[in-house]
Amino acid sequence: MQRVELPEPTDGQLIARVAEGDHVAFEELHGRYSRAVLGLALRRLGDRGRAEDATQDAFVAIWRSARTYNPDRGKGAPWLYAVARNAITDGLRRTPEPVAEPQDGPGREPDPADEAEASWTAWVVHRALEALPDHERPVIELAYWSGLSQSEIASRLAIPLGTVKTRTRSALARLADALEGELA
Amino acid sequence: MNPDFEELVGTDLDPAERARLERVHDLLVAAGPPPDYAAPVRLPLAEVVELRPRRRAALVAIAAALAVALFAFGAALSDDSTRSGAPFPGTIAMEGTTAAQSASASLEVLDRDAAGNWPMTFAVEDLAPAASGRPFELWLTRDGKLGALCGSFRTDEKGAAVVPMNAPYDFSEYNGWVVVEEGSETPLLTT
Repeated sequence: MQRVELPEPTDGQLIARVAEGDHVAFEELHGRYSRAVLGLALRRLGDRGRAEDATQDAFVAIWRSARTYNPDRGKGAPWLYAVARNAITDGLRRTPEPVAEPQDGPGREPDPADEAEASWTAWVVHRALEALPDHERPVIELAYWSGLSQSEIASRLAIPLGTVKTRTRSALARLADALEGELA
Repeated sequence: MNPDFEELVGTDLDPAERARLERVHDLLVAAGPPPDYAAPVRLPLAEVVELRPRRRAALVAIAAALAVALFAFGAALSDDSTRSGAPFPGTIAMEGTTAAQSASASLEVLDRDAAGNWPMTFAVEDLAPAASGRPFELWLTRDGKLGALCGSFRTDEKGAAVVPMNAPYDFSEYNGWVVVEEGSETPLLTT
Protein backbone atom coordinates (compact mmCIF):
# COMPACT_ATOMS: atom_id res chain seq x y z
CA MET A 1 0.00 0.00 0.00
CA GLN A 2 1.36 3.39 -0.92
CA ARG A 3 2.16 5.59 2.01
CA VAL A 4 0.83 9.12 1.68
CA GLU A 5 2.78 11.88 3.41
CA LEU A 6 0.36 14.44 4.79
CA PRO A 7 1.52 18.05 4.66
CA GLU A 8 2.49 19.51 8.00
CA PRO A 9 -0.35 21.68 9.36
CA THR A 10 0.31 25.39 9.38
CA ASP A 11 0.47 27.32 12.63
CA GLY A 12 -2.88 28.87 11.77
CA GLN A 13 -4.49 25.47 11.26
CA LEU A 14 -3.13 24.29 14.59
CA ILE A 15 -4.44 27.40 16.37
CA ALA A 16 -7.86 26.78 14.84
CA ARG A 17 -7.80 23.23 16.15
CA VAL A 18 -6.68 24.42 19.57
CA ALA A 19 -9.69 26.73 19.58
CA GLU A 20 -11.83 23.60 19.32
CA GLY A 21 -10.07 22.04 22.31
CA ASP A 22 -7.68 19.84 20.34
CA HIS A 23 -4.92 18.88 22.79
CA VAL A 24 -2.80 17.21 20.13
CA ALA A 25 -2.68 20.44 18.17
CA PHE A 26 -1.81 22.30 21.33
CA GLU A 27 1.05 19.92 22.02
CA GLU A 28 2.30 20.41 18.47
CA LEU A 29 2.26 24.18 18.88
CA HIS A 30 4.06 23.78 22.18
CA GLY A 31 6.74 21.77 20.44
CA ARG A 32 7.14 24.33 17.69
CA TYR A 33 7.24 27.42 19.87
CA SER A 34 8.45 26.58 23.38
CA ARG A 35 12.01 27.68 22.77
CA ALA A 36 10.91 30.77 20.89
CA VAL A 37 8.57 31.76 23.73
CA LEU A 38 11.21 31.09 26.34
CA GLY A 39 13.68 33.11 24.31
CA LEU A 40 11.26 36.00 24.18
CA ALA A 41 10.66 35.76 27.92
CA LEU A 42 14.37 35.58 28.68
CA ARG A 43 14.99 38.63 26.52
CA ARG A 44 12.34 40.53 28.46
CA LEU A 45 12.87 39.19 31.98
CA GLY A 46 16.48 38.11 32.10
CA ASP A 47 15.93 35.60 34.85
CA ARG A 48 15.61 31.97 33.76
CA GLY A 49 13.15 30.91 36.46
CA ARG A 50 10.80 33.80 35.84
CA ALA A 51 11.11 33.27 32.11
CA GLU A 52 10.08 29.63 32.42
CA ASP A 53 7.04 30.64 34.48
CA ALA A 54 6.22 33.28 31.87
CA THR A 55 6.53 30.68 29.13
CA GLN A 56 3.97 28.53 30.83
CA ASP A 57 1.70 31.55 31.29
CA ALA A 58 2.07 32.28 27.60
CA PHE A 59 0.94 28.82 26.59
CA VAL A 60 -2.02 28.98 28.92
CA ALA A 61 -2.88 32.30 27.26
CA ILE A 62 -2.58 30.70 23.82
CA TRP A 63 -4.89 27.91 24.93
CA ARG A 64 -7.42 30.36 26.30
CA SER A 65 -7.41 32.85 23.46
CA ALA A 66 -7.12 30.58 20.44
CA ARG A 67 -10.73 31.34 19.58
CA THR A 68 -9.83 34.95 18.96
CA TYR A 69 -7.46 34.03 16.13
CA ASN A 70 -8.77 35.10 12.75
CA PRO A 71 -6.82 33.61 9.83
CA ASP A 72 -8.11 36.36 7.55
CA ARG A 73 -6.06 38.86 9.53
CA GLY A 74 -2.73 37.15 9.18
CA LYS A 75 -0.56 34.10 9.72
CA GLY A 76 -0.35 32.19 12.97
CA ALA A 77 3.20 33.16 13.91
CA PRO A 78 2.52 36.88 14.45
CA TRP A 79 -0.63 36.07 16.43
CA LEU A 80 1.28 33.66 18.65
CA TYR A 81 4.02 36.23 19.09
CA ALA A 82 1.53 38.87 20.18
CA VAL A 83 -0.25 36.58 22.64
CA ALA A 84 3.03 35.38 24.11
CA ARG A 85 4.46 38.88 24.35
CA ASN A 86 1.31 40.14 26.08
CA ALA A 87 1.29 37.23 28.53
CA ILE A 88 4.92 37.88 29.38
CA THR A 89 4.24 41.59 29.87
CA ASP A 90 1.19 40.84 32.03
CA GLY A 91 3.31 38.57 34.20
CA LEU A 92 5.86 41.32 34.53
CA ARG A 93 3.19 43.67 35.80
CA ARG A 94 2.08 41.17 38.43
CA THR A 95 5.60 40.52 39.66
CA PRO A 96 7.67 43.59 38.81
CA GLU A 97 11.34 43.31 38.10
CA PRO A 98 13.74 44.12 40.92
CA VAL A 99 14.89 47.72 40.77
CA ALA A 100 17.93 47.82 38.54
CA GLU A 101 21.16 49.57 39.40
CA PRO A 102 21.26 53.05 37.85
CA GLN A 103 23.23 53.10 34.63
CA ASP A 104 25.79 55.71 33.79
CA GLY A 105 25.69 57.73 30.63
CA PRO A 106 23.18 58.07 27.85
CA GLY A 107 22.22 55.49 25.29
CA ARG A 108 22.28 52.46 27.56
CA GLU A 109 18.59 51.70 27.16
CA PRO A 110 17.87 49.87 23.92
CA ASP A 111 15.59 51.63 21.51
CA PRO A 112 12.13 50.01 21.89
CA ALA A 113 11.66 49.77 18.12
CA ASP A 114 15.02 48.09 17.69
CA GLU A 115 14.30 45.79 20.58
CA ALA A 116 10.92 44.84 19.12
CA GLU A 117 12.48 44.12 15.74
CA ALA A 118 15.22 42.03 17.33
CA SER A 119 12.64 40.08 19.33
CA TRP A 120 10.58 39.38 16.24
CA THR A 121 13.66 38.32 14.26
CA ALA A 122 14.69 35.93 17.01
CA TRP A 123 11.11 34.63 17.19
CA VAL A 124 10.84 33.67 13.53
CA VAL A 125 14.41 32.37 13.31
CA HIS A 126 14.00 30.18 16.37
CA ARG A 127 10.67 28.93 15.09
CA ALA A 128 12.24 28.07 11.74
CA LEU A 129 15.03 26.21 13.52
CA GLU A 130 12.47 24.02 15.26
CA ALA A 131 11.13 22.99 11.87
CA LEU A 132 14.50 21.69 10.66
CA PRO A 133 14.88 17.93 10.48
CA ASP A 134 16.51 16.48 13.56
CA HIS A 135 19.64 15.51 11.62
CA GLU A 136 20.16 19.07 10.34
CA ARG A 137 19.40 21.20 13.39
CA PRO A 138 22.46 20.09 15.42
CA VAL A 139 24.94 21.10 12.69
CA ILE A 140 23.51 24.62 12.68
CA GLU A 141 23.39 24.95 16.45
CA LEU A 142 26.91 23.59 16.89
CA ALA A 143 28.30 25.85 14.17
CA TYR A 144 26.62 29.04 15.25
CA TRP A 145 26.36 28.78 19.00
CA SER A 146 28.91 26.26 20.15
CA GLY A 147 31.72 27.74 18.10
CA LEU A 148 32.66 24.43 16.53
CA SER A 149 34.34 24.19 13.14
CA GLN A 150 32.93 21.86 10.52
CA SER A 151 35.62 19.30 11.35
CA GLU A 152 34.82 19.53 15.03
CA ILE A 153 31.13 19.06 14.31
CA ALA A 154 31.93 15.97 12.26
CA SER A 155 33.91 14.61 15.17
CA ARG A 156 31.26 15.53 17.73
CA LEU A 157 28.43 13.95 15.78
CA ALA A 158 30.55 11.06 14.50
CA ILE A 159 29.62 11.71 10.89
CA PRO A 160 31.83 12.40 7.84
CA LEU A 161 32.92 15.98 7.19
CA GLY A 162 31.20 15.88 3.80
CA THR A 163 27.93 15.01 5.51
CA VAL A 164 28.32 18.00 7.83
CA LYS A 165 28.83 20.28 4.85
CA THR A 166 25.87 18.82 2.99
CA ARG A 167 23.60 19.10 6.02
CA THR A 168 24.74 22.65 6.70
CA ARG A 169 23.95 23.83 3.19
CA SER A 170 20.67 21.99 3.17
CA ALA A 171 19.68 23.43 6.56
CA LEU A 172 20.54 26.99 5.50
CA ALA A 173 18.54 26.57 2.30
CA ARG A 174 15.61 25.18 4.26
CA LEU A 175 15.80 28.12 6.66
CA ALA A 176 15.92 30.52 3.73
CA ASP A 177 12.74 28.96 2.34
CA ALA A 178 11.04 29.18 5.72
CA LEU A 179 12.07 32.75 6.41
CA GLU A 180 11.23 34.17 3.00
CA GLY A 181 8.23 36.38 3.46
CA GLU A 182 8.49 36.38 7.25
CA LEU A 183 11.19 39.03 7.40
CA ALA A 184 11.58 42.03 5.15
CA MET B 1 32.64 34.01 17.68
CA ASN B 2 30.48 33.80 14.59
CA PRO B 3 31.16 30.99 12.13
CA ASP B 4 32.87 31.73 8.87
CA PHE B 5 30.25 31.76 6.13
CA GLU B 6 32.75 30.61 3.49
CA GLU B 7 33.64 27.58 5.57
CA LEU B 8 29.97 26.74 6.03
CA VAL B 9 28.84 26.85 2.42
CA GLY B 10 32.01 26.66 0.36
CA THR B 11 32.75 28.80 -2.66
CA ASP B 12 30.93 27.02 -5.45
CA LEU B 13 27.41 28.40 -4.96
CA ASP B 14 25.79 30.50 -7.60
CA PRO B 15 25.63 34.15 -6.55
CA ALA B 16 21.87 34.26 -6.02
CA GLU B 17 21.83 31.20 -3.81
CA ARG B 18 24.89 32.42 -1.97
CA ALA B 19 23.16 35.73 -1.21
CA ARG B 20 20.06 33.90 -0.03
CA LEU B 21 22.06 31.72 2.35
CA GLU B 22 24.16 34.63 3.55
CA ARG B 23 20.98 36.42 4.52
CA VAL B 24 20.04 33.43 6.66
CA HIS B 25 23.55 33.40 8.09
CA ASP B 26 23.14 37.03 9.14
CA LEU B 27 19.73 36.32 10.67
CA LEU B 28 21.09 33.39 12.68
CA VAL B 29 23.88 35.57 14.01
CA ALA B 30 21.42 38.36 14.84
CA ALA B 31 18.91 36.05 16.50
CA GLY B 32 21.44 34.40 18.76
CA PRO B 33 20.96 30.97 20.24
CA PRO B 34 17.53 29.74 21.21
CA PRO B 35 17.44 28.93 24.91
CA ASP B 36 18.36 25.41 25.87
CA TYR B 37 14.91 24.09 26.50
CA ALA B 38 14.89 20.92 24.48
CA ALA B 39 13.76 18.51 27.15
CA PRO B 40 10.70 20.37 28.40
CA VAL B 41 9.71 21.16 24.84
CA ARG B 42 9.56 17.50 24.02
CA LEU B 43 7.63 16.51 27.08
CA PRO B 44 3.87 16.44 26.94
CA LEU B 45 2.67 19.58 28.62
CA ALA B 46 1.12 17.50 31.37
CA GLU B 47 4.56 16.44 32.49
CA VAL B 48 5.93 19.96 32.35
CA VAL B 49 3.08 21.10 34.54
CA GLU B 50 3.62 18.21 36.90
CA LEU B 51 7.33 18.92 37.22
CA ARG B 52 6.89 22.63 37.83
CA PRO B 53 3.91 23.19 40.12
CA ARG B 54 2.50 26.65 39.83
CA ARG B 55 1.96 29.21 42.49
CA ARG B 56 -1.49 30.39 41.56
CA ALA B 57 -4.47 28.26 42.30
CA ALA B 58 -6.35 29.26 39.17
CA LEU B 59 -3.50 28.25 36.94
CA VAL B 60 -3.13 24.98 38.79
CA ALA B 61 -6.74 24.21 37.97
CA ILE B 62 -6.19 24.87 34.27
CA ALA B 63 -2.98 22.88 34.27
CA ALA B 64 -4.69 19.98 35.99
CA ALA B 65 -7.43 19.97 33.37
CA LEU B 66 -4.83 19.94 30.59
CA ALA B 67 -2.87 17.25 32.39
CA VAL B 68 -5.89 14.98 32.63
CA ALA B 69 -6.72 15.46 28.97
CA LEU B 70 -3.16 14.95 27.79
CA PHE B 71 -2.71 11.92 30.03
CA ALA B 72 -5.77 10.39 28.43
CA PHE B 73 -4.29 11.13 25.02
CA GLY B 74 -0.95 9.65 26.01
CA ALA B 75 -2.53 6.51 27.35
CA ALA B 76 -4.26 6.02 24.04
CA LEU B 77 -1.00 6.01 22.16
CA SER B 78 0.96 2.85 21.77
CA ASP B 79 3.96 4.66 20.27
CA ASP B 80 6.69 4.35 22.86
CA SER B 81 8.28 7.63 21.87
CA THR B 82 5.98 9.90 23.80
CA ARG B 83 6.75 9.55 27.47
CA SER B 84 10.50 9.44 27.91
CA GLY B 85 11.19 13.03 27.05
CA ALA B 86 11.33 13.27 23.27
CA PRO B 87 9.82 11.96 20.11
CA PHE B 88 12.46 9.68 18.67
CA PRO B 89 14.69 9.90 16.81
CA GLY B 90 15.63 13.23 18.31
CA THR B 91 17.99 15.04 20.62
CA ILE B 92 17.43 15.52 24.32
CA ALA B 93 19.19 18.18 26.37
CA MET B 94 20.26 17.49 29.93
CA GLU B 95 21.20 20.09 32.50
CA GLY B 96 23.41 19.87 35.55
CA THR B 97 21.74 19.71 38.94
CA THR B 98 23.02 21.59 41.97
CA ALA B 99 25.50 18.75 42.38
CA ALA B 100 27.06 19.57 38.99
CA GLN B 101 25.77 22.98 38.10
CA SER B 102 27.98 23.74 35.13
CA ALA B 103 27.51 20.37 33.47
CA SER B 104 25.38 19.91 30.40
CA ALA B 105 24.78 17.08 27.99
CA SER B 106 22.93 16.11 24.89
CA LEU B 107 21.61 12.71 24.03
CA GLU B 108 20.99 12.09 20.37
CA VAL B 109 18.67 9.14 19.86
CA LEU B 110 18.97 7.75 16.36
CA ASP B 111 16.62 5.62 14.30
CA ARG B 112 15.67 2.37 15.92
CA ASP B 113 17.73 -0.47 14.46
CA ALA B 114 16.45 -3.69 12.96
CA ALA B 115 16.74 -5.44 16.30
CA GLY B 116 14.51 -2.88 17.94
CA ASN B 117 17.27 -1.11 19.87
CA TRP B 118 17.78 2.63 20.03
CA PRO B 119 21.36 3.64 19.12
CA MET B 120 22.30 6.86 20.91
CA THR B 121 25.18 9.30 21.11
CA PHE B 122 25.67 10.86 24.50
CA ALA B 123 27.85 14.00 24.71
CA VAL B 124 28.60 15.67 28.01
CA GLU B 125 30.56 18.80 28.91
CA ASP B 126 31.87 20.31 32.13
CA LEU B 127 31.27 17.24 34.25
CA ALA B 128 34.45 16.85 36.27
CA PRO B 129 35.64 13.27 36.77
CA ALA B 130 34.28 11.81 40.01
CA ALA B 131 36.60 12.27 42.99
CA SER B 132 35.92 8.63 43.87
CA GLY B 133 37.30 7.51 40.51
CA ARG B 134 34.06 5.75 39.73
CA PRO B 135 32.47 6.14 36.29
CA PHE B 136 29.20 7.90 35.61
CA GLU B 137 26.05 6.19 34.41
CA LEU B 138 23.16 7.27 32.21
CA TRP B 139 19.80 5.89 33.36
CA LEU B 140 16.25 6.05 32.16
CA THR B 141 14.05 7.05 35.07
CA ARG B 142 10.50 6.30 36.03
CA ASP B 143 8.81 8.88 38.24
CA GLY B 144 12.18 10.18 39.36
CA LYS B 145 13.64 6.77 40.26
CA LEU B 146 16.39 4.92 38.42
CA GLY B 147 14.77 2.53 35.98
CA ALA B 148 17.10 1.18 33.29
CA LEU B 149 20.83 1.60 32.79
CA CYS B 150 21.78 2.86 29.33
CA GLY B 151 25.55 2.96 29.70
CA SER B 152 28.59 4.04 31.68
CA PHE B 153 31.21 6.62 30.81
CA ARG B 154 34.12 8.60 32.16
CA THR B 155 34.90 12.21 31.40
CA ASP B 156 38.30 13.58 30.48
CA GLU B 157 40.19 16.20 32.46
CA LYS B 158 38.07 18.89 30.81
CA GLY B 159 34.89 17.16 31.92
CA ALA B 160 33.93 16.07 28.43
CA ALA B 161 32.97 12.77 26.89
CA VAL B 162 31.21 11.57 23.76
CA VAL B 163 29.92 8.06 24.12
CA PRO B 164 27.92 5.80 21.80
CA MET B 165 25.23 3.93 23.67
CA ASN B 166 22.38 1.62 22.85
CA ALA B 167 19.08 1.25 24.67
CA PRO B 168 17.11 -1.94 24.18
CA TYR B 169 14.22 -0.59 26.23
CA ASP B 170 10.61 0.29 25.64
CA PHE B 171 10.76 4.02 26.27
CA SER B 172 7.06 4.18 27.08
CA GLU B 173 7.87 2.69 30.46
CA TYR B 174 10.03 5.65 31.46
CA ASN B 175 9.61 9.39 31.71
CA GLY B 176 13.07 10.89 32.11
CA TRP B 177 16.83 10.52 31.95
CA VAL B 178 19.45 11.08 34.58
CA VAL B 179 23.21 10.85 35.02
CA VAL B 180 24.53 9.59 38.35
CA GLU B 181 27.87 8.48 39.70
CA GLU B 182 28.12 4.69 39.75
CA GLY B 183 26.67 3.38 43.01
CA SER B 184 24.84 6.63 43.73
CA GLU B 185 21.29 7.74 43.08
CA THR B 186 22.04 11.45 43.34
CA PRO B 187 21.26 13.04 39.99
CA LEU B 188 24.12 15.00 38.43
CA LEU B 189 22.32 15.78 35.17
CA THR B 190 18.65 15.50 34.39
CA THR B 191 16.30 16.17 31.49
